[in-house]
Amino acid sequence: MLAGINMIAVLGLSLLTGFTGLFSFGHAGFMAIGAYVGAWISASPASTPAGLGLPFILAIVGGGAAAGIVSYFIGRISLNLKGDYFCIATLGFGEAIRLIFNNVNRFGGARGWPGVPGRSTFLVILIADVIAILFLANLVKSRHGRNMIAVREEELAAQIAGINVFRYKMISLIISAVYAGVAGVFFAHYMTFIQPKMFSLTKSTELTIIVIFGGLGSISGSVLGALVLTALPELLRAFEIWRLVFYGAAVILIMVSRPKGLMGGMELTPSGIRKALAERNALREAKTKLLADAQSGEED
Amino acid sequence: MKKLLFAALAIALVLAGCSSGGKSDVIKVGWLGALTGDQAVWGENELNTVKMLFEEYNAAGGIDVGGKKYKLEVIGYDNKGDPQEAVNVTKRLTGQDKVVAIIGPNSSGNAIPMAPILEKAKVPDIATVATNPKVTVQDGKVKPYNFRVCFIDPYQGAVAAGFAYDRLGARTAAVLYDVGDDYSQGLREFFKLNFEKKGGKIVADESFNSGDVDFRPQLSKIKAANPDVIFMPYFFKEVALSANQARDLGIKQVLMGGDGWPSDQLISMGGKAVEGSYFVNHLDYADPAVQDFKTRYKAKYGKETELNGFLAHDAVLLLVEGLKKAGKVNGEALAKAFEGIDVQGITGRIHISPETHNPEGKDAAIIKIVDGQYVFQEKYAAQ
Amino acid sequence: MVQFLQQLINGLSIGSVYALMAVGYSLVYSIMNFSNFAHGGVIMLGAYFGFFSLTLLKLPFVAAFLLASVGTLAVAIIVERIAYKPLRERKAPFLYFIISAMGASILLENIVIATIGPTFRTYPEVFSKVPITLGPLAIGRLDLIIFAISAVCLTLLIFFIEKTKIGKAIQAASYNVKACALMGVNTDRVILTVFGLGGFLAGVAGVFFGMKYTVYPQIGNITTKSFIAAVFGGLGSLPGAVLGSVILGTIETFVAGYLSSQFRDLIAFVILIAVLVLRPTGIMGKVTEDKA
Repeated sequence: MLAGINMIAVLGLSLLTGFTGLFSFGHAGFMAIGAYVGAWISASPASTPAGLGLPFILAIVGGGAAAGIVSYFIGRISLNLKGDYFCIATLGFGEAIRLIFNNVNRFGGARGWPGVPGRSTFLVILIADVIAILFLANLVKSRHGRNMIAVREEELAAQIAGINVFRYKMISLIISAVYAGVAGVFFAHYMTFIQPKMFSLTKSTELTIIVIFGGLGSISGSVLGALVLTALPELLRAFEIWRLVFYGAAVILIMVSRPKGLMGGMELTPSGIRKALAERNALREAKTKLLADAQSGEED
Repeated sequence: MKKLLFAALAIALVLAGCSSGGKSDVIKVGWLGALTGDQAVWGENELNTVKMLFEEYNAAGGIDVGGKKYKLEVIGYDNKGDPQEAVNVTKRLTGQDKVVAIIGPNSSGNAIPMAPILEKAKVPDIATVATNPKVTVQDGKVKPYNFRVCFIDPYQGAVAAGFAYDRLGARTAAVLYDVGDDYSQGLREFFKLNFEKKGGKIVADESFNSGDVDFRPQLSKIKAANPDVIFMPYFFKEVALSANQARDLGIKQVLMGGDGWPSDQLISMGGKAVEGSYFVNHLDYADPAVQDFKTRYKAKYGKETELNGFLAHDAVLLLVEGLKKAGKVNGEALAKAFEGIDVQGITGRIHISPETHNPEGKDAAIIKIVDGQYVFQEKYAAQ
Repeated sequence: MVQFLQQLINGLSIGSVYALMAVGYSLVYSIMNFSNFAHGGVIMLGAYFGFFSLTLLKLPFVAAFLLASVGTLAVAIIVERIAYKPLRERKAPFLYFIISAMGASILLENIVIATIGPTFRTYPEVFSKVPITLGPLAIGRLDLIIFAISAVCLTLLIFFIEKTKIGKAIQAASYNVKACALMGVNTDRVILTVFGLGGFLAGVAGVFFGMKYTVYPQIGNITTKSFIAAVFGGLGSLPGAVLGSVILGTIETFVAGYLSSQFRDLIAFVILIAVLVLRPTGIMGKVTEDKA
């Protein structure tokens, strides 16, 4: 179940990182916003800290929207920064958000907010996951999605081609933030307890690692990555200590040997598999042709 | 390469999934606490105590519940001293392991968020050294599945304040506390309340975040306020660090603390900095009532037991008595049985009040650190 | 006034520790143009190396200190070889370096947790805890020593970079690695040297941090602040890193002392964001080429 929740956040981050090429180390901050706003909307007024006691669906919408709005402001400030400065900025924002929540005693401050209603059932998360995947898949295939990929590949060229780079980066950021916010709402209603330190740099990094592990630019990769990397540790509790060691080593290995990750650029759909096979065949043909050309060239 | 890895993992998954089936005539009891992290010393101590006592019961043939003999089995998990992990572990204990009751944790910050899950699963929990009132009573309502065997912070704060004012003659006090921990917040609140009620004045009230290691800014302010005594209601690691830094800054005042202090590491880390300090504890280690347990523990584990061991011991006593009173191995019945029960523990008489689920009228002991040893001063009851 | 001065001393005390850590970040950034997040892990290992040298091997302080720093020097170079060199050779986009760095940092932190254990350790008392008092002000002895040794290390470093041949090579490489290689400089060796230097300083910083506070696997997280200090001072500039660290440490202390200690960490991140938005090159940073 936790995998399903992480999946939503990972999918959102995948849009930003995998498809638009922007790395973020602050997405846990958006999850935090979603979690706290969502908790505030749905917690009963009788609990401490108190909430508004409104229905769950409002919490989902509210949490996601809040995260999206905040991301707009963050985007305005930081999307103009180059490459790794943007990364650092997201890191800064993510941590700043966490620290701010640490100080808001109305929401429990650093000690956390227990007693959030446990509304995240398996069914609800499953439905949410499906919606999230479908929406994202459609987006990626659309013109907007292709524009984002263009931005990732070569920003300068995309700009020359007339794509409003800033606008697409912003859209990508907002959508990814909304996803993360919604994931945060589900998280809060699953744990029934939230604390700012649950949304730290470590969590942001974990999300980014899952996206990379699953493969940049692949939705099914992100889905698989989220399932495998979240569910596995729970089942292998005995090896819990080594989980993060494994993560760290895996990241280095992936970066060094196969930065495309598990399914970089490929999808686990019929058309995706066909495309991958076609690519491989084309590559093979090209190689044989080159060899043949070279040989015939020698014979001359 | 990746395929092999996944295959291996899949096999491991299957193996891990096949847990041992439940044996009949065994009562499964859960335990959670810090086995890693700052408070690992205490967690280890508690788990060892529970294991030792269960072994002793089982060797004697088990315990008698409702006419049938049962062996006791403890399933212990590490909550890493983290509330989120505590919640995870509680879910696991009640959901997968299906324990009838849980012993621990020792920290209020970890105990408080467990309540909703306990209620849903109808599994009672006996906290060992969690002293914040919110663990059992919140907003005037008692939590049906939370209990404890120790005194609570309103009492502890009153004891500390009373001792400072009456015995040490302090008229002004400074407080430094951890804003990220329920225990620290609560104890600070109650100390302030009681100290001011007696007529004293709080001249400095500084806070830090859990995990901070540098307290100099706050300590400099405290020094400038020149209090008679400095109250440090948090755990031994930060106490040692802040005590050292305080002395570094030239602060000479007497330091005081609560039950978060006692640990060998406090002396080894704090050394001269904590010499001559006082703190409130749950019992006198030299009390004859606890010597037998101390010897048994040392014989089995080769080291001295800490504060937590004594309270874990009494938690086990409470559990066993509760089971006998309930007559059946059922969480809901057990919780009802706890209310009003009266057990003579080694730390004192434990009479669980039905209204608050706390033991009524437990004494507190004042300990002074002299030459690196904990020296009992007196049993102090708040007036 | 006394309070002000005392807080100033406090700020300098923590600032000097940040400075040692920040210089390592800046050095690597100046050559490789990316932020070596694994640096935190190396610092943490320095603290552990020093601890074990003092307790297990029972070496005298100076020997333990040097052993720890040499140890971290080695670790830094190993990390470079494993996590960065292959990426360099494949001319991977720099973002991959950051991810790899993060991976290395997580790896280091958790290997220690898994093997040595996550409980904190305390250094045996090497210097007296009695502070030196100047009237109402108190300066810890350890702080003075940290300040002194940091100053010495940094001066030596700057001397090294300005006056020696390989130092000049480092300077050249920091402007343009490719041109440098074209001029016949063995850039691989330059990079090794830079990481080695950074690693050595990390060891020094780690040991001091461990002595001042305690040793635990998450020390790497504190170094995020020193990273902010390096950005603040200007990534790529050594004097900037020092200046940034000292100023950050002081601002942090004043905020904690005069406003509320709650905002202590927050102010560091606010500064970071402000710097990035208003003046990304920091106080003294060099202007790097466009990263489009």
